[in-house]
Amino acid sequence: MRDFPPQVSAWTDARDGAGHQAGIGVPDTRGPLRFLWWLLRQQGDLVLAGCLCSLLWMLPTALTPWVFGQAVDEGIRAGDAGRTALWCGVLLLITLVGASSGVFYHTVVVRSWLYAAYGQTRLVTHQVTRLGHVMPRRAPTGEVLSVNGSDGDQFGHFIEIFSRLVGNVVAYVLVAVIVLQISVPLGLVVLLVAPVLALVSSVLLRPMAAAQTRERSRDSELTSMATDIVAGLRILRGIGGERIFGANYARQSQRVRQAGVQAGSWGAFVEAVGVLLSGLFVVALMVLGVQRVRDGDLQIGELITFLGYALFLVQPIRVVFEAAQQITRSVVSARKTIGVFGTTDPWPERAPLEPDQLRALAEGELVDASSGLRVRPGRLTMVVSALPDESARLADRLGRYLPAGDTVPSGDDEATGRAARRAAAERSRVRADLESRDAERAQGAWGVTLDGTDLADLPLDQVRSRVLVSDTAAHVFAGTLQDAVDPHRTLRREQAEAALHAAAAEDVYDILPGGWQGVLDERGRGLSGGQRQRLVLTRALAADPPVLVLVEPTSAVDAHTEARIADRLPTHRRGRTTVVMTASPLLLHHADEVAFLVDGAVVATGTHDELVTGHPAYRSTVLRGDAEAAPAGSTTTTTTTTNGTTQEVTP
Amino acid sequence: MSDLLDPELRARSARTWRDADDRPPVVPDLLHPPDPGTTGLRDRHRLLWQRHALRRERAQAHLMTALDPDRGLPVARSRTVVDYLRGLLRERSRLVVLVTLANGLAAAAGLAVPLLLGRLVDAVDLSGGDPAVGVVRDLVLLVVVVLVAQAVLTYAAKGLAAVLGQGVLAQAREHVIRAVLRLPLGKVESASTGDLVTRVTRDVGSMSGAVRWALPEFIIGVVTVLLTVVFMVLNSWALALPTLVTASLSLFQIRRYLQQAPAGYLLEGATYSDINTTLTETVEGARTVEAYRMQQDRRSAGVDDIEVSSQAERYGLVLRNVLFAVMDMAFSLPRVITLVVGAWLYSRDAVTIGDITTAMLYIETFYGPFDRLVGTIDRLQVGVASTTRLLGIAEVPPDRTAGDDRPEGSTLVGQRLRYAYRPGHDVLHGIDLRLEPGERLAIVGPSGSGKSTLGRLISGIHAPTGGTVRVGGVELTELPLELLRTEVALVTQEHHVFRGSVRDNVELARDGAGEDGVWRALATVDALDWVQALPQGLDTVLGSGHHEVTPAQAQQIALARLILADPHTLVLDEATSLIDPRTARHLEGSMNALLTGRTVVAIAHRLHTAHDADRIAVVTDGRIVELGSHDELIAAGGEYAALWRAWTS
Repeated sequence: MRDFPPQVSAWTDARDGAGHQAGIGVPDTRGPLRFLWWLLRQQGDLVLAGCLCSLLWMLPTALTPWVFGQAVDEGIRAGDAGRTALWCGVLLLITLVGASSGVFYHTVVVRSWLYAAYGQTRLVTHQVTRLGHVMPRRAPTGEVLSVNGSDGDQFGHFIEIFSRLVGNVVAYVLVAVIVLQISVPLGLVVLLVAPVLALVSSVLLRPMAAAQTRERSRDSELTSMATDIVAGLRILRGIGGERIFGANYARQSQRVRQAGVQAGSWGAFVEAVGVLLSGLFVVALMVLGVQRVRDGDLQIGELITFLGYALFLVQPIRVVFEAAQQITRSVVSARKTIGVFGTTDPWPERAPLEPDQLRALAEGELVDASSGLRVRPGRLTMVVSALPDESARLADRLGRYLPAGDTVPSGDDEATGRAARRAAAERSRVRADLESRDAERAQGAWGVTLDGTDLADLPLDQVRSRVLVSDTAAHVFAGTLQDAVDPHRTLRREQAEAALHAAAAEDVYDILPGGWQGVLDERGRGLSGGQRQRLVLTRALAADPPVLVLVEPTSAVDAHTEARIADRLPTHRRGRTTVVMTASPLLLHHADEVAFLVDGAVVATGTHDELVTGHPAYRSTVLRGDAEAAPAGSTTTTTTTTNGTTQEVTP
Repeated sequence: MSDLLDPELRARSARTWRDADDRPPVVPDLLHPPDPGTTGLRDRHRLLWQRHALRRERAQAHLMTALDPDRGLPVARSRTVVDYLRGLLRERSRLVVLVTLANGLAAAAGLAVPLLLGRLVDAVDLSGGDPAVGVVRDLVLLVVVVLVAQAVLTYAAKGLAAVLGQGVLAQAREHVIRAVLRLPLGKVESASTGDLVTRVTRDVGSMSGAVRWALPEFIIGVVTVLLTVVFMVLNSWALALPTLVTASLSLFQIRRYLQQAPAGYLLEGATYSDINTTLTETVEGARTVEAYRMQQDRRSAGVDDIEVSSQAERYGLVLRNVLFAVMDMAFSLPRVITLVVGAWLYSRDAVTIGDITTAMLYIETFYGPFDRLVGTIDRLQVGVASTTRLLGIAEVPPDRTAGDDRPEGSTLVGQRLRYAYRPGHDVLHGIDLRLEPGERLAIVGPSGSGKSTLGRLISGIHAPTGGTVRVGGVELTELPLELLRTEVALVTQEHHVFRGSVRDNVELARDGAGEDGVWRALATVDALDWVQALPQGLDTVLGSGHHEVTPAQAQQIALARLILADPHTLVLDEATSLIDPRTARHLEGSMNALLTGRTVVAIAHRLHTAHDADRIAVVTDGRIVELGSHDELIAAGGEYAALWRAWTS
C-alpha cells in the first residue's frame, strides 16, 4: 500500500530503476472534477482501503440495535440462555472487528491525507521551479502559496470524506435492509424521514457557513494588521502611533469577536434544531412503535431496534451533507489549483548544442538588436542610463527573461456570488491572454545574439548556463553561507574566497558565527541592504559564468566599499564577458567600454573619461544624478540643480 | 588568490569550509523502517517502537528549544499563562457559571431521553405489549418537553460558550498587541522581526483555536462526561459498572498520551511552517532559482522538509493509534459485557429490559463526549504552549527609565562614546561629537566601521556602553519616549505604509494633530494632489489588498510623518532608509521641506551627500579619523580626498 511521503515525477525527467515515471505524475487539469478524480486515482489502493475500513468501523454502531433487539426477543425475555449467549457472541464479534479496525482506519486516513497534501506541496514546487520567472507572471505569490497550504489541506479533507461517505452510505443501505425486513411501514418511515430531517437542517447550514466566512475574513484582516504592526514597529516605537494602531487593532479585534459570536450562535441554533428534529423523530417512532406492538406486529426487542436506529441514522445523513459541503469546497480548491498546475511553459523545444559548440558561442560578441548594444567578448562593459528601469529591461533581454510588469491581478478569496464569478472569468481571460502573448514572444526570434546565434535558437537551460543575469531583486535563500555562495557545491574554497574578496563581502563572512557554516535566515533577513547586495554579488562572481550581467550591483553599498569593489571586480572577471548596469563613477572608471543609453537606445560608447569630457548628457547623468537624490545638503543640492552644471562638484 | 584575504579570515575560512558533501541526512537512517522481507516480525515490531522512542526524543528536544529560544524574545512560564487565564475567567465569573449551568442542564436533558425511552420499553414490556394509553401519553409528552428544553438549553449553552470564548480571546490578543507596542525601542531596533511575526500569527492562531473552541468545549466535555456517569449509575449501578471499570482502565493510557502529545503537535506545526517557508522562498525567488539553475536544489530542500515533517506526523500517528486502540476497546467492550450482565441480572429479576435499553443507549453516547474531551485537552495544551510565547513578549524588561530633567537648548553632544553588542567587543572606541543646531554633518566610512551604531546612539535608540549622549544637557535615554521623539528622530525603513487610513498613517507621528495638521504636513511634502484625488481622501485605507501607493507616495507619507513629529535633529541612515534612487529624484522638494531649519546627521553612502554637508566625519574601525568641511578634508589629502578623486576624476 502507498505511504507518505509520496514520490513525485511530474514535470521532471525523474525515472525509477525500470525507466518508468515513478509516483505522482502530471495532474489532469482539464477541469476541477477531472482533477479530483485524478486525485483519487493517484492513491487508488489507499482510497479503497479507507472505504473498507470506514465500513468496518461503522459496523458495530450499525448492527448493535438489531443484535440487541434480537437478544432481547429471542434470548433475554424468552429466558433462553443459549440464544442470549449466541447473540452476545455475535455482538462480541462485530465489536471486536469494529474496535480493531479503528487503528487501521485512522492509519489509512492519515496516510492518504498526507499523501495528497505532501503531493500537492511537491507538485507546486516542481511547477514553480519548472516555470521560474514565468510563474509570478501567471499567479501572485500568495495564490501559489495558498494552492499549497489551504488547497492541499482541502484535498486531504476530500479524500478523507470520500472514504467516510462510502462507509456511511453502505452502512445506511445495510440498516435499510434490516429495518425493512422487520417492518415495512416503520422501515419506510425511518428511511424516508431521516433524509428529510437532514435536508431541513441543511437549509440552516448556509447562513451558518456565511457567518463563518465573515468571521474568517475579518480574522485574516486582523492577522494582517498584527503582521503590519510588527513590520512597522520601528516606526511606531521610533516616531509614535502606538495608540492609533493599537486602537485600530482593538477595533478590528472586536469586529472579529462580534462575527465570531454571530457564527457561534448560528452554530448553536443549527445544533439546537438538530436536537429537536432528531428528538421528534424518536418521539414519532415511539408512538408508532408502541402502536405496532399493541397491534401485535412488532416484538419489544424490535421496538428497541427501531428506537436505536432512530438515534443512529442521523449520523450517515449528516456525513452525506458534510461530504456535499466538502466536495463543493474541493471543487473550488481544484479550480484554483488548476490555475497554477495548468500553466504551460512558453519556451520552444530546441536541440541542445554540443559542449564545445556552446563554449565557442560564449566567446563571441553579445548583441542586442533593439538597443544596438554590442558587448565585446572578454571585456568589461558598463551601461549607463538616466532611467534605471531602462537598463533593467536591457538586462532582462540579454538574459532572455520575459519583460517585467505583466502580471495577472490577484483574486479575492472571500468574495462570493455572481460578481466573484465574473471577476474569476476576467482573471482567467487576462491569464490566457498573457499566456499567448508570452508564448508568441518566446517562440519567435529574441533579438539578442551571442556570436551571431539568436538566443531563441538555444534551449533555455543552455542560455542560462552561458548568460547569468544578477538583478536587483535577486533572492538570498535561507541556509549556510557556503550554500548561499555555492548553491551547487562545486567550488573549491579558494574560488569562494576569491569571489568573497572581489565583492568586498568579507564583513558578511565576519559577522556570521560559524563562518561558511554560519546560518542565514530566509531572504537574508538580519543582513543590512548593503551586506545582502554584496552577498548576491559574491554568488554571481562565484558562479563564474561566461557572460555575467550585473544590474546595479552596488546601489546599496557605501562609497568606501564601492571603491573597493570597483577596484577588484575587473581583476576577478578578467578575460570573461561582463556587463554592469550602473551610474556610479567609481565603477565606470574601471570599465573597458561604457555604453550610454537614452530612450532605450545606445547613443554613445567609449571610456568613462571620453564620455565625461565629450558628452554633456552623460556627464550630468553620472556626476549629478546622485546629488539630486542626496538628502543631506538641501541648500547646496538646490543650487547644483538650478545651475544645471557639474563644475562645482569637481575639486 | 586566497592570499588576498586577511590571514585571520583565511584561517577561519579553511576551518569552516566543507569540501565534500558531508551533510548528514535530514533524518537519521534509524527512523526508516527496514525493507520488507529483510527482518522477522519480532524485529520489525521492536524496531517500530525503537523508531517511536527516537521520534519522541526529537519532539522533546524541539519542545525544549521552542520553549527556550537562544535568541529573540523571552517565553513566559506555564504558571503565568494559567494565572492570566484564570484572571480573564474571573472577570467573567457570571458568564462562566452560566455556561456551565446551561451546559449541565442541556446535557442532563439529553441524558434524560434514554432514561425515558427505557421507561417506555418497560411500560410496554411489563404490560405484556399493551400499555395503558395514559402512561404512554404521559411518557411521550414528557419526552417532548425534555426535548424542547434540551434544544433551548443547547442553543443557550453553545451561544453563551461562543460569547465567553470570543470575549476571552479578544481580550487576550489585544493584550498581546499592547505588549508588542510597548516593546523597548532598543529591542525593536536590534532584534529581527521574524520571531515576533511568528508569535503574532502562528501563536495567536493556536491560542485562538484553544480559547475560542477548546476552552468552552472543555467545560462542556467535563460537564457532559460527569453527568453521563451520574445518569448511568442512577439508571442502574450494576449495569454502569462495566463501562466505569474499562473507562478508568483507559485513563492510564489517556494520561500518557496527553503528556506526550503536545510536544508532538508542536513539532508537527513547526515542520509545516518550515515547509511553507521553503516553498515561499522558492516561489519568491523563482527567478533566482532559474538564473542559477537551482531547480534540483530547491526540490530537494522541499523533499527534505517533507521528510522531516513525515517523521513528526508518524510520531503523532503512532501516539494516536496507541490511544485509539485502548480507547476503542475500553468504550466498545462494555457494550457486550453490559448485555451479558444485563441478561443475567434480568434472569434474576434485578433489572428490567428498560434498564438494559437505557444502559445500552448510554454506552453508545458516552464515547463521543469523552473522545472530544481528550481532543480538547490536546488543543488546550498546545494553546498554553503558544500563549507562553505570547505572554513572554510582555516580559521584555524596559531599556530605559525616564528622568525628570528637561533639555535646555537643542545642542547634541556625544562624549567618549563606546558601544559593544557583545561584551568585550567594542565597535566604537570613544567618539566625541558636537552637533551645532542647524548644521549638516555627513558620516562616511566603510561598512562595519560603526557608523550606523553611532547613528543609533545619537538618536537615543541605544544607551552607549560608555560615555554620554546629551541633548540640552540631558542624557537622551533618560528622556520619556514622547519627548525624545520631538528632539531627535532616526529615519529608517520609512517607506513602510501601514494598513490604515492616510490620516492614521500620517497622524501617528503626533497623535491628535487633527485634520488640519495632517493636511498641512501633506502639503509641505507636495503630497496634496494625489491624496486629494483619492476616493475617500484622508480616510482612504492604504496597504496591500486596499489602495496601494507608489514607492514615491510611500516616501512622501514617511516625510509627512517627520514634518508632523517635528524633531529638531534628524539622523538619516542611507544604509537602512532604503531611499530608492528611482523615487528620490521626484522627492527632492519634499525632502528639502523636511530638512530646512533642522540639524541633520546623514550616514552617507553617496559622496555627493557628504560633499553637500557642512562637516564630514570619516569613521574607520569605530573612530573618527577625519573631521571637517569638504574643502578642509580635500586639502588634508586623507582617505576622503582619495575617494573623492576616484569619484570625480
